[in-house]
Amino acid sequence: MIKVFVTGLGIITSLGDSLESNREALKAGRCGIGKLYNFSTKYSESLLFGEIKLSNNHLKDFLNVKDLGVSRTSLLALHAFNQATADAGLTDKDFSSEDTALILANTVGGMCLTDELYQDSNQHDIGSENISSYDCGSVGVFLQARFGIAGIVNTINTACSSSANAVMYGCRLIKQGYAKKVIIGGTDSLAKFTINGFNSLHILSPGLCAPFDNNRNGLNLGEGAAFLVLEAEQDIADKKIYAEVKGYANANDAFHPSTLSENGDGPFLAMEEALKNAALNPSDIDFINTHGTGTENNDEVESKAMIRIFSNNLPAFASTKSNVGHTLGASGAVEAVYCILNLMHQEIYPSLNFKEPMADPGLIPNLLYHKKTIKNVMSNSFGFGGNCSSLIFSKV
Amino acid sequence: MFYIHNTVCISPQISFPDTDLDQLIICKDNKLYAKEVSYTDIPPAILRRMGKAVRLGVAASNPLFKLYDKLDGIIIGTSNGGMEDCIKFLNQIMHYEEGVLTPTNFVQSTPNAIASQLGFLSKNKGYNITHVHRGFAFENALLDAAMLLVSYPDNNYLLGGLDEISTYNFNIDYLCGYVKKETISNDDLYSGTTDGSIAGEGVAMFMVNNNSDGAVSKFRALQMLHTTDEKKLLTAFKTFLSNNLPQNETIDLFLSGENGDARYTKFYESAESILNKDTAAARFKHMSGEFRTASAFALWISNYIIKNQHIPPHMLKNAVKIKDINNIVIYNNYQGFQHSFMLLSKN
Repeated sequence: MIKVFVTGLGIITSLGDSLESNREALKAGRCGIGKLYNFSTKYSESLLFGEIKLSNNHLKDFLNVKDLGVSRTSLLALHAFNQATADAGLTDKDFSSEDTALILANTVGGMCLTDELYQDSNQHDIGSENISSYDCGSVGVFLQARFGIAGIVNTINTACSSSANAVMYGCRLIKQGYAKKVIIGGTDSLAKFTINGFNSLHILSPGLCAPFDNNRNGLNLGEGAAFLVLEAEQDIADKKIYAEVKGYANANDAFHPSTLSENGDGPFLAMEEALKNAALNPSDIDFINTHGTGTENNDEVESKAMIRIFSNNLPAFASTKSNVGHTLGASGAVEAVYCILNLMHQEIYPSLNFKEPMADPGLIPNLLYHKKTIKNVMSNSFGFGGNCSSLIFSKV
Repeated sequence: MFYIHNTVCISPQISFPDTDLDQLIICKDNKLYAKEVSYTDIPPAILRRMGKAVRLGVAASNPLFKLYDKLDGIIIGTSNGGMEDCIKFLNQIMHYEEGVLTPTNFVQSTPNAIASQLGFLSKNKGYNITHVHRGFAFENALLDAAMLLVSYPDNNYLLGGLDEISTYNFNIDYLCGYVKKETISNDDLYSGTTDGSIAGEGVAMFMVNNNSDGAVSKFRALQMLHTTDEKKLLTAFKTFLSNNLPQNETIDLFLSGENGDARYTKFYESAESILNKDTAAARFKHMSGEFRTASAFALWISNYIIKNQHIPPHMLKNAVKIKDINNIVIYNNYQGFQHSFMLLSKN
């Protein structure tokens, strides 16, 4: 069986625009969540967001984007794409090879331009410059054209587990010979559309989210992009290797469009199948980056599902959503990068804002930065529609 | 790659529950709407909340769920999913100035709402995914199914492609120049010299596995290509055929995704130029209209043609008579930059 390794990383979140700045912030237990700055919504004052404080114009200048109609979602993606591909030493020759695939994940697409979309979709006269940038596919179409990617290009949308599924799809392309290198990326930007959507479901916290806390009362939306370059073992030569993608699984909770079932069958199956896929036992997992949104439903169900898998030997776990908020379609990739930081530096970061365990099952996340021997890390991503996925990364 | 067994297609044509494809349904206003069907299988309280794409997806899948005791996953390609709900929610945001909004449209607007409703209604906890990459959304769903069936050879998967015409799609596509400015009839789609096509929608669902017993057809090969150059397209098409069609076999039918948009005719002509004189050529977009997962309709009708050994006469582009329809090659492109080839053979 072909092994798949991670050879390049790129990331931009409210914690910083590089791998190092994100790591420093995680180590220090910093939180990137605060007042909204880049655009206005009715909820600018009453809710908090994991916003990247760089304007679109700044990003365009910095990234040298002259084309019209490039959405913030695409700009964030481009930034992380540039970092990850440079990190892995990919060249134009790699981009134009049919053996290099590009697998994207996002849920917002160009709908961050909520007002513009409203104008364009309700008229029949002249479209704005953004006219072909609203769909989720627009990010991948933009990157494919900019870099002349010649291999398989795809975009996956399974809500909040989208980019975990992109990692999984990318690994499978390599293992079955459809690609030798896969650039995978998750990206999403804050949008009036999603703010109002999550608000209508009453799952946005007015304060900072507090994953696994007894008094948690919802999530904070965030934005960001993270990219990983995956390569087949035999094509890596002497490149630096961050980690092996050891296992993955996708399952469905088959219960409700926006809540998880009481016993967490979907989360349970995703974790169980990922372990099976990695040929590991629960006791081999040293750390879990949980989905941990801070909603009442998710954290309780995820706790129960983790106990079903790990019983009395639950490894240390934390939720980085307490640092960056819920970056939706980007979250699986952002958290994959954080898991790889855990492995690279043999350290784990504190989960923030936790004060009191829930009555049942009462799990306590990791609350302090410390060094730890870590061989295998699990990352959970659960989305609306019961779309649950788990990934396992291992030290090489 | 895999075998196709039972299929259901809900389209603008008479395709479900009865099938009469020789008769062409004519469209109005450059929009070919899928014909709604009876939804008796869907609980009314759930049906009420469903947008059209979700409704059509569920109605097309229900008959297939009943045929299979063991279903291992649901793989959907849809570029936009339930966009009518998306626009409804967007309009709510604007009209109520971000006030108290109802979440139903938001939840139904996410492209994964279709696959997840199918998982929920069939109580299927297996693999569940939604591919949304525009003109390659269904192609990636096909590739996903093919890869899964290599890893899990005994499994059965529900594979589908669908999109709907919504206010959003139509207005945006119109503003992008994808829809003709002048109103035309779909039976006159290919004679024009102007830009744009007619809008379409529909759903095609397939039960696929590795079991040849009772299968209608075998899906043998898939290739995706990004280019705006018809010469590169031609080279890729030749390579696709030489890699996947043994020398002792012929293409009996070439199914072309021509859509009446004068800008893209060159690609179809280029691909067609290498066919020999014994290959019949046919088209399908006057039946389905143009949409980002129209290749799912193309695959469905190819399966129908193989099963019935009959090509509806209005589809034919040339006068080649073929005795046995064994191999069908489908070539489709989306807006002249996302191209795909598929090879389907009689089982």
